[in-house]
Amino acid sequence: MSIQAGLGHYLVVSALLFCLGLLGVVARRNLLVIYMGLELMLNSANLALVAFSRFNNNLNGQVMVFFVITVAAAEVAVGLALIVALYRRRQTAHVEDLVSLKL
Amino acid sequence: MNSSLIIVEILVALLGLGVLLADLWLPVERRRLLGWVAAAGVAVVFFVGMKDAAEVAYAFAAPGAKTGMYVLDGLAVFFKQFFLLAALLVILMTTEYAPKLGSGVSEFYSLVLFALLGMLFAASANDLVLLFAALELITITFVVLNSFRRDQTASIEAGVKYLILGATASAFMVFGMALVFGAAGTTNFNEMAAVQKAMGGSPIFLAGLVMVLAGLFFKMSLVPFQAWAPDVYQGSPAPATAFLAVGSKAAGVVLLLRLLFGAVPEIAARWQHVLGGLAALTILYGSLCAIPQRSIKRLLGYSSIANAGYLLLGVVAMSKAGASGVLFYVSGYLFTVLAAFTVVSVILARTESDDLSSLNGLSQRSPALAGALAVAMASLAGVPPMAGFVGKFLLLKPMVPLAAADPFLACVLVAALVGVVISMYYYFGIVRAAYWGQGVADLTPIPTSWAVRVALLIGVAGILWLGILPDALIQASTPAVEVLKPQAPVAQQHSGDR
Repeated sequence: MSIQAGLGHYLVVSALLFCLGLLGVVARRNLLVIYMGLELMLNSANLALVAFSRFNNNLNGQVMVFFVITVAAAEVAVGLALIVALYRRRQTAHVEDLVSLKL
Repeated sequence: MNSSLIIVEILVALLGLGVLLADLWLPVERRRLLGWVAAAGVAVVFFVGMKDAAEVAYAFAAPGAKTGMYVLDGLAVFFKQFFLLAALLVILMTTEYAPKLGSGVSEFYSLVLFALLGMLFAASANDLVLLFAALELITITFVVLNSFRRDQTASIEAGVKYLILGATASAFMVFGMALVFGAAGTTNFNEMAAVQKAMGGSPIFLAGLVMVLAGLFFKMSLVPFQAWAPDVYQGSPAPATAFLAVGSKAAGVVLLLRLLFGAVPEIAARWQHVLGGLAALTILYGSLCAIPQRSIKRLLGYSSIANAGYLLLGVVAMSKAGASGVLFYVSGYLFTVLAAFTVVSVILARTESDDLSSLNGLSQRSPALAGALAVAMASLAGVPPMAGFVGKFLLLKPMVPLAAADPFLACVLVAALVGVVISMYYYFGIVRAAYWGQGVADLTPIPTSWAVRVALLIGVAGILWLGILPDALIQASTPAVEVLKPQAPVAQQHSGDR
C-alpha cells in the first residue's frame, strides 16, 4: 500500500520547515545559525510555491521561485560580508554582543 | 513590450552603473565630483524623463493580456516624482557628509541610485512578483547603506539588525505570496481584484495576505514590526537614515495602497478596525518612546514610527479622500525630514556624537541651519502654516465622520490627537537645544556648502509651499488616487466577528 503525496502533504512539510526556520531565527544566538534559519524559511516558501504550481497547473509559481532564489543569493552575499565585517571589528558573531545601540 | 514605459528606470539604472564604473578611473581626490554627476543625472530625469500618465499603461505583460506586472498610471507617476526628488536631496546631503564616508563615497552614490531604482519599480508594481523584487532591491541596498561606515561598530550593528529583521520580514512575505498564489491562482493585482469576492472566505488566501502585509508593515515601521527602526536610524550614516525614513517608508506606502485598494478593497474594508487599532498603537508608541531620547537620530526614528501611524490612518479611512491625504502627507514629510536630516548630517559631519547637546548654540553657529531645523520641527509637530499641519488635517478630516458613527474609530482619532500633542513636546526639545541650549563650548561658525544650501532651500520652500498654498498638490494628488478603488465597509451586520 502506498500513499500518494497530495498538495496537503507538501503544504504541511513546507509549513513545518517555515516554523523550524523561524524557531532558528528566534531561539539561536549565533548570527550564522540565524542566517541558516532565514534560508530555511525562504526555501520552505519555495516548496509551497512549487507545490501550488504543480497542483494548480500554473507555471507562474515556478517562475517566482527563480526570483526568490536569486534574491536569497544576493541576500546571503551581503549578509555574510556583513557578518565578516562585524567579526573583524568585534571578534564575535553573537547577537548578545550587539548592544552598542541603546536608549 | 514598449520599453519607453520604463525609460525612467532604465536611465536611473544606467546612471547608477555609470557612477560605479567612473569610480574606477577617477583619481581619489576627484571622486566627490561623482556626487554632482549623480545629482545632475537625477535632476535631469526628474525634469525631463517624467511625463504625465495620459492613460493607464501596462508593461511586462503576457502577449494579448489586458494587464501586466508593471503599471504606469497617475499614482505611479506621482510616486516616481516623489522618489526622484527624495534621491536628489539625499545625494546633495551626501556630498556634505562625504568626508566621513572616505574613498568609498561613489559606491554610496550608486547604492542610493539602485535603492531609487527599487523604489521606482515599487511605485509601478502591479503584481506580487514585482512587489517582492522591488522591495528586496530596496532592502538589500539599504543593508549596505546602513552599514556603510565599517569603521564604526554602531553602523555595522545597524546593518546586521536591518538585515536579520528585514530578511525575516521578506521570508514571511514570500510565504504569504505562495499562499495567495495557491489560493487565488494569480499574483496580478487586477486579476486578484476579480476573484476577491470568492477569496474573502478562503483562510489560505487571508493568511497569505496577512503575511504579505507584515512585510509591508515592516518597511513602513508600523507596530508590531517597528522594533528595528530606532536602532537602525541611530546607527546608520545620516544620509542613509534620511533616505530610509523617506524613500523606504514611501515605497511601503504606495505598495500598501495598491495592494489594499487596488487588489483586495473588499477584504481591506473588513479589516478597518484592525488597521485602525494598529495605527493608534503605532502613533502612541512612537510618540511616547520619543520623549526620553537624547540621540537626535534615534528621536527621529521614533518620530518616523509615529508618522507611519498617521499614514496608516489615511488608509483606515477607506476612501479616496483618505488616500489623497496620504499622498499629501508623505510629500510634506519628504521636505520636512530631508530638511531636518540635512541639518543633522552637516552637524554630524563635524562631530561624532549625535547627542541632542551637539545642537547647543546652533542658532549662533549657523542661523540658517537653526532656522531650517526649527521650520522642519514645527512642520513635524503639525504647527500651522507648515506642510505637516495641512497633511495631518487632510488625514484626520475623513476620519471625523467615521468616528462619529463608530466608537472604536473615535478612540483611534483621539489617540492620533493625543499623539500630536505629545509630539509637540519632543520636537520642541530639538528647537530648544538649537536656540536656548546651555553650556556651549564651541561657537565656531559652521560653513555650509552650496549643495546644502540648495537642499535646505528646497526643503524649507517645500514645507512652506505645501503649508500656505496646499491647493496645487491637493489637485495633483486627487487624480493620482483615481486608480484606487477603496470601499467603505459594509454596515455593521457582523460586528461580532471582527
